[in-house]
Amino acid sequence: MTELSATHFLLLSAALFIIGMVGVLTRRNILVIFMCIELMLNAVNVSLIGFAWELHQLTGQVFALFVIAIAAAEAVVGLGIVMALTRRADTVDIDELRQLRE
Amino acid sequence: MPLRLVAPEWSLLVPPLIVLGTIVLLLAIDAVSERAARKTALPLALVGQLLALVSLATVDWGQGATTFGVSYRADWFALVVSLIALVSGILSVLVSAGYTESGLEPGVGLAEYLALLLFSVFGTMVVGAAGDLIVLLLGLEMSAVAVYALTAFARRRLTSVEGALKYFLLGAFASAILIYGMAWVYGLTGSIVLSDIAHTLRTVVTPGQPLDPALLLALLLLAVGLGFKIAAVPFHMWTPDAYQGAPTPVSAYMSVVPKVAGFAAVARVLVQALQPLSDQWAGLLGILALITMVYGNVVAIAQRDLKRMLGYSAIGHTGYMLAGLAAFTNGLAGDRSVGSVLFYLFAYAFMNIGAFGVIAWLQERGLGTTLDDVAGLAGRAPLAALTMAIFMLSLMGMPPLLGFYAKYYVILALIEAGQLWLAVAIVVMSAVSAFFYLRVVTQMYFQEPGGTWRPVRTPLLGLGLTLMAVATLALGLVSGPILELAQHWPAALT
Repeated sequence: MTELSATHFLLLSAALFIIGMVGVLTRRNILVIFMCIELMLNAVNVSLIGFAWELHQLTGQVFALFVIAIAAAEAVVGLGIVMALTRRADTVDIDELRQLRE
Repeated sequence: MPLRLVAPEWSLLVPPLIVLGTIVLLLAIDAVSERAARKTALPLALVGQLLALVSLATVDWGQGATTFGVSYRADWFALVVSLIALVSGILSVLVSAGYTESGLEPGVGLAEYLALLLFSVFGTMVVGAAGDLIVLLLGLEMSAVAVYALTAFARRRLTSVEGALKYFLLGAFASAILIYGMAWVYGLTGSIVLSDIAHTLRTVVTPGQPLDPALLLALLLLAVGLGFKIAAVPFHMWTPDAYQGAPTPVSAYMSVVPKVAGFAAVARVLVQALQPLSDQWAGLLGILALITMVYGNVVAIAQRDLKRMLGYSAIGHTGYMLAGLAAFTNGLAGDRSVGSVLFYLFAYAFMNIGAFGVIAWLQERGLGTTLDDVAGLAGRAPLAALTMAIFMLSLMGMPPLLGFYAKYYVILALIEAGQLWLAVAIVVMSAVSAFFYLRVVTQMYFQEPGGTWRPVRTPLLGLGLTLMAVATLALGLVSGPILELAQHWPAALT
């Protein structure tokens, strides 16, 4: 039976982070992009907790709590902006937003 | 180990606490009576920031005292960042004064607007004083998230919401990358305290040897994350859209203060914590600086919309400031790199908020934001035209205006560090920028006016513009004390 090590945490975290990043770069739906950003932030939390576990420290865990708080604050403002957008434009497709151009 | 709780040293926290108190008061008054808030919000925001500015004198910054453990540092660097943030905050409030009331942007609540603006100023002060990665991140996010909301503040206008959305999505994306970099730095050094990170890295990094790949990954993630925050090319995509879409006073504000927060974070993270890796990041910043200044200045030439043009011009100025950081040599007294960037940010606050301020002034008089709208301004309003001309020439770097001194000190730092190629690039790009800055001036002085003109009185905006114009004209000649203050940075960061 293999024991869990920090490497497992880091691999999981890297995989989640890359999935999120690819999602942000390829998807066109604003809400899906937003979910991918949240996924990236949670991937970071997995890393932080993996490192804290390996270092036998609490610091990384506390850091993860703050990251959760930041993600929540961003979600509030971000979803507020999306609400304002759908009232004006009735779309959640990033490619349809092209009022601001050269 | 028993947990030991120590009361924080409140006296070190007075300036940010005054700003925080002002925010709480603003929101409380707004919650009780909207009518009272409309009357008191502006004076309150101004007085609060002025008090905070004065209270900077009550702290002894030379000691480099810390509180909350070592999480909050009251050092020279924190002082200069707080100074720039508060001055920019006051000027932005003056620029916002008439705009929000004039009915240009329906549905804007003044008290909430000012509270958000002050939140962002507060966050920037926190970044400047951050002693560990968590505090730095919290400050940076506070400074940014408040501005996402401000950008969307004219929520009945689609362009405002669109600019905010693009700013928000890329900002949040960048934050995730930045925090991932921070996690790796924490994992590799076992600490989030900036000075401890530097200490640990000194023991594991030998100059001249190739870097541990994990450390290189951390450095790259941090550079990309911070690159988005300061709008360095190729991470600049949000900038022109956000600047053009936002209400003009918000564009004025966000062209300066979040950039100050970004550069403060770059200095705290790269210069202070990752100083042992300076061989790697200084080279990286040099390349970023070059492409950023070239791209910003060249693309600005093609713009007809003044706010968009200033957006690209802001990218160009980011390039100049990055060049200042790339001049980092050893972090000892006599290294001018970070000091020259701090002075640049200080100078930039006056001329850039001023330039956006004149655009807000025009909009309040019924004009738009394109080049055609400033045509013949000199005939209609000679003082406004003169003010705009001063800001344009200063942004271009015309001596003896403030903008010239800013560039001069950066170039001086580069020459002393032996980075002649970047110094030459700054001079060449300033010449290129003359094309689009002077075009505004020729439009104002040598074209016939068009459009409808609606005379209104905007005393506070006028006061703000006068202050900024005078500062742009005269501060360069008496810049000694501020520059000296900025050059104390090695005591704080090394």
